Amino acid sequence: MREEELAFASINALCAGLASGDISSPVALTQFFLERSKRLNVDCHAFIEITEHNALRDAKRLENMRDAVPLRGIPFASKDLFDVEGVKTTAGSRVLADNTASADATVIKRLRNAGAVNHGKLNLHEFAYGITGENVVYGTPVNAYDKSRLAGGSSSGSAAAVAFGLVPFALGTDTGGSTRVPAAFSGLVGLKPTFGRVSRSGIIPYSWSLDHVGTITRTVADAALILQTIAGEDKNDPDSSNEPLDDYLAALEQPGNLSKLKIGVPRAFFFENADSEILAVTELAIDNFRAHGAQVVDVELPKMEHTRAVSLTVQMPEALSVHSRYLKDRGHLYSCDFRAGLALGQCLLAEHYIRAKRMMTRYRQQTNAVFEKVDLLITPTTPIIAPRIGQRRITIDNNDEAIGNAVTRYTSFFNMTGHPALTVPSGLHSLGLPMGVQIIGRYYEEAEVLIAGLALEENFQIPKPSFHA
Amino acid sequence: MDKLDAHTLQALCSQLAAHQWEEEELNELVDPKLGIITGFQELLEELEVLRHVDLEFTAPAQSVQRKRKV
Repeated sequence: MREEELAFASINALCAGLASGDISSPVALTQFFLERSKRLNVDCHAFIEITEHNALRDAKRLENMRDAVPLRGIPFASKDLFDVEGVKTTAGSRVLADNTASADATVIKRLRNAGAVNHGKLNLHEFAYGITGENVVYGTPVNAYDKSRLAGGSSSGSAAAVAFGLVPFALGTDTGGSTRVPAAFSGLVGLKPTFGRVSRSGIIPYSWSLDHVGTITRTVADAALILQTIAGEDKNDPDSSNEPLDDYLAALEQPGNLSKLKIGVPRAFFFENADSEILAVTELAIDNFRAHGAQVVDVELPKMEHTRAVSLTVQMPEALSVHSRYLKDRGHLYSCDFRAGLALGQCLLAEHYIRAKRMMTRYRQQTNAVFEKVDLLITPTTPIIAPRIGQRRITIDNNDEAIGNAVTRYTSFFNMTGHPALTVPSGLHSLGLPMGVQIIGRYYEEAEVLIAGLALEENFQIPKPSFHA
Repeated sequence: MDKLDAHTLQALCSQLAAHQWEEEELNELVDPKLGIITGFQELLEELEVLRHVDLEFTAPAQSVQRKRKV
């Protein structure tokens, strides 16, 4: 394989290459991606730390292991909230600059047991607070389609690492859209599974009620493969579910599955105040589902006018509680915007927090009622394309809005409800930047979400980024 | 509901069990300049609207359960 072909290959293609001998060995594959990462990270700021020694050590161990594990030799990297034994977990902050993990997070352990090779720790918005991914300590990851624009956040490094061809997949977290938004901005597939489907043990929390593990991959089939590997009950995570796992890969191999599905379109709020090209391409995606035989109907979700207030009222007291252990001695090491957010968490009343959690229950009930009538929902992933670095506000249809609010407008609701949600690339904007479509399913029905995503992917391919490597 | 001012927040944080906050951090809540956090006043006004929503005995959200299609 040529360099660009190898750098942008799917996991499945890399597995096939290793099995056939086209790729000579896990060590050769590891060296290729490490060399590329070291060269390109100077510009793209995807990695906080490239763990070269550990990656080569793990790859060497896999040299004599043939087909015994499903991800043998496949490189990956994780947002720097995930513990990796013996490696620092900084959370993108000066506060944890000396924080070395004593054990792997559960999902890291599962991936390594499956033969995947961890290449390092990925950049993020400090402690996952913020959707722009801007980081004054470790640099701001840039968009592979336009380096003057954001990769998106908070899993900014996760999206940039896959988009720049530094790893074939990456782990992120998603509290209000932090996996789906950067995946959509970067022309990638981002999956937020059902709340509790994937363990969060060994991951620095931001907000226990809203945090999900997310995956960023090149293809829907790769998302299914990684979900199959990391999902499942974990006694170390009290929110982990014991619901049995579906066979996600087998589900994708069943032709005609989409024709059995009924798809709901929540036009109010989710199709308003957005870039016209994003809305147009989402309509094309809806037409594509109809062409596959799916029944498409309009639906009404709960009123969205207070959803951001509810989300914020849950997030900030929980974040404050997470960080109370560091505030006294290391409080001066936080960035000022995060400290302001924590101060807000301090000043909310207990009843505000409880009422917001009760509103979450109400949102769940109302959304589940919609899912009694349809199997899936479809929306744009974001109302805008990737903003420029440093941009603070955006005006759409004469409505002026903070970037952070605009970007998460279509994603954060599903963190509160906990439903699985997938973003799939839907096209390139006339400004050359990717757009994404979001598919949401019932609890634990990731298989249906992935089936629908595959149907879109087959008809909505976008070109690779053409940056100078 | 009266308009929030920085003195209220300073008193709240100094007189209740709370972390220490700089004056400018509490000012940011009353007069936001960083563009990340909604102004606290606006948030409180939304919370005041939500306070009047009758949630009956709806419990706070916890883990999620599979809902079978009816």
